[in-house]
Amino acid sequence: MAETTITTTAGTHAAQYGEDAVVAAATTRGEPDWLRDQRAEAARAFGALPMPTPQLRPWKYTDVTALAIDGYAPVTDAGWMRVQGGTPARGFAGTIADAIADADHGERVRTHLGSMVRATEGKFIAANAALWRTGAFVYVPRGQAFATPVTVTLEAPAEAGRALFPRVLIVAEPASEVTVVLRNHSGDADLLVSAVVEIIAGDDTNVRLVLDGRWGDATREFTTVRSRLGRAAHVQTASLAIGGALVKQTVEGLLEGEGSTSSIRGAALGGREQHFDFVTLQDHIGPKTESDVEIKAALAGASKSIYYGITRVEETAAGAAANQVNRNLLLSGHAKADSDPVLEILTSDVIRCGHGATVGPVDEEALFYLQSRGLDRREALQLLVAGFFRSVLKDVNVPGLEDELEAAVMAKLATAEL
Amino acid sequence: MSEPILELRDLKVSITDQRDTQIIKGVDLKIGRGEVHALMGPNGSGKSTLATTIAGSPSYTVDSGQVIFKGEDITALKADARARMGLFLSFQYPTVIPGVTMVNLLRAAMKARTGTDLPPREFLVQLRATLETLKMDESFARRYVNDGFSGGEKKRAEILQLGMLKPDLAILDETDSGLDVDALRTVAEGVNALRTPEIGVLIITHYQRILNYITPDFVHVLVAGRIVRSGGPELALQIEENGYDPILQELGIAEEAVTA
Repeated sequence: MAETTITTTAGTHAAQYGEDAVVAAATTRGEPDWLRDQRAEAARAFGALPMPTPQLRPWKYTDVTALAIDGYAPVTDAGWMRVQGGTPARGFAGTIADAIADADHGERVRTHLGSMVRATEGKFIAANAALWRTGAFVYVPRGQAFATPVTVTLEAPAEAGRALFPRVLIVAEPASEVTVVLRNHSGDADLLVSAVVEIIAGDDTNVRLVLDGRWGDATREFTTVRSRLGRAAHVQTASLAIGGALVKQTVEGLLEGEGSTSSIRGAALGGREQHFDFVTLQDHIGPKTESDVEIKAALAGASKSIYYGITRVEETAAGAAANQVNRNLLLSGHAKADSDPVLEILTSDVIRCGHGATVGPVDEEALFYLQSRGLDRREALQLLVAGFFRSVLKDVNVPGLEDELEAAVMAKLATAEL
Repeated sequence: MSEPILELRDLKVSITDQRDTQIIKGVDLKIGRGEVHALMGPNGSGKSTLATTIAGSPSYTVDSGQVIFKGEDITALKADARARMGLFLSFQYPTVIPGVTMVNLLRAAMKARTGTDLPPREFLVQLRATLETLKMDESFARRYVNDGFSGGEKKRAEILQLGMLKPDLAILDETDSGLDVDALRTVAEGVNALRTPEIGVLIITHYQRILNYITPDFVHVLVAGRIVRSGGPELALQIEENGYDPILQELGIAEEAVTA
């Protein structure tokens, strides 16, 4: 890709990505057979699958053909991920390894891990399925709720040329509730991250996921989040991307249950030559399902944001309602955005279905209004951008985190090229 | 008169994107501390251009002349520098700032004005007192700036900012337009409550009715970019009674030439 320089040599660590090494490592760790087999299949898929090319629509503006995933050494120690949460009775919030050690939770992991996102779907996902080292498992029993959000903290290693494969599995039994926050941090080193989050939201559940993306300048992230929603389930994803050289997030909701609602919110604050790429899918399968997508990017410097989203209303989804919005605020003359929200309506019975996209500079009148109140241009832009992101930030709804993220937005804008 | 708070010296102003269109064609004006001046004039006479130019709008360019504020030539200063010196413009059409609450705005503006971040408690005390003066509900401060505000709410939000920022010069650009009598009275009472012997006020209006509530010391009539008449409060009453036509006729200016 033109924006970032690839410094690693292709395939330097290819051996570690091979089936033999993957199986050997799983055996050394004493993983159960089913998991070892899953990893072996994933390793084979990784070897067989090509890198996605710009001919594939979701990759049209993010060309990774020059990137070699196996040029990055997989991180093998387990200490970089921490899972914390106030677990209710019979519930679980911890590492997948710990969950597997328990008979009941182990069985749940076996049932659901890889059930939503198959290893064979793509190169980045296959690498994750083969090589994830630490994963988080969150389980909420029927009728229970976590008293506090579960926090999954990723503290990436400082050495350059490393690859991280975070894996998160959230299983919410009927009538349960949980919020999971993924806090992503890294230093200045050149790192590759390929993450997979699977969410199984049972009937009448309320599941919220927050992605706090404060990577260092040279981290490249590729994430897939997919949820399956039961009857009247509500799943909400809020992602704030601030750091990283390249952030590509694919967030998908499969609205199977009648009356389920899926909300996807994303905000990206770009500077330098940062490259953001959001892909969303809201797939209305059940009747009376509702979805809402709002992706916002504020772009300084020579940063870039790409949005491609599909809202699909299947024939079976009578009475569905959907809204899909992408807004891009260009804070500098060098920033760029590309927006492509798509509606695919296969039934005539929809309540409402809207989509919209905007790309444009800051409202000069609003800027003058704030400047006439004594704020200099940068301060005025900080306030305008914080306001622009408000609709996403307010959905973070985790005590303290909303303010922390807003402060991070302000801090980044304090030095960004505007 | 002591040193004026604001002085305009032969000010000529054109539209930035259309430099051959001069709107203000030589205005001289002096406003002293504690004085209330009303600037009246027919539509299109340049009142709002003058107001926003004094505030430092980049939409207008000063061709010649000077804006002197508190003894300093601010003609070349940006809007934010003028505001920090104590100049305040109440907008004719206040802008919507989505996602930014009135509290956010007020805190940022007060910090910019004073250079220090007021402790939240002190800020709240001041905010409550000002809201009370303006008969405004506290929930108002938590709403996004001008977002979904009625016409009256927008104007009161401007006066709320005026009250919190305590400027040395307040320019009210058609703050009365679009207000019903009750809203007009509340806004006017708010302005009166915020007046001190130190503050200068410039009220820009098309109609005389706001001057029933805020008595001006001086009234100026702006026609086609020039002040064609100045006087006391009685001038506003004459205009109320007879409109601008007698003045225009006396000057030999046809109404069409003014509004064109």
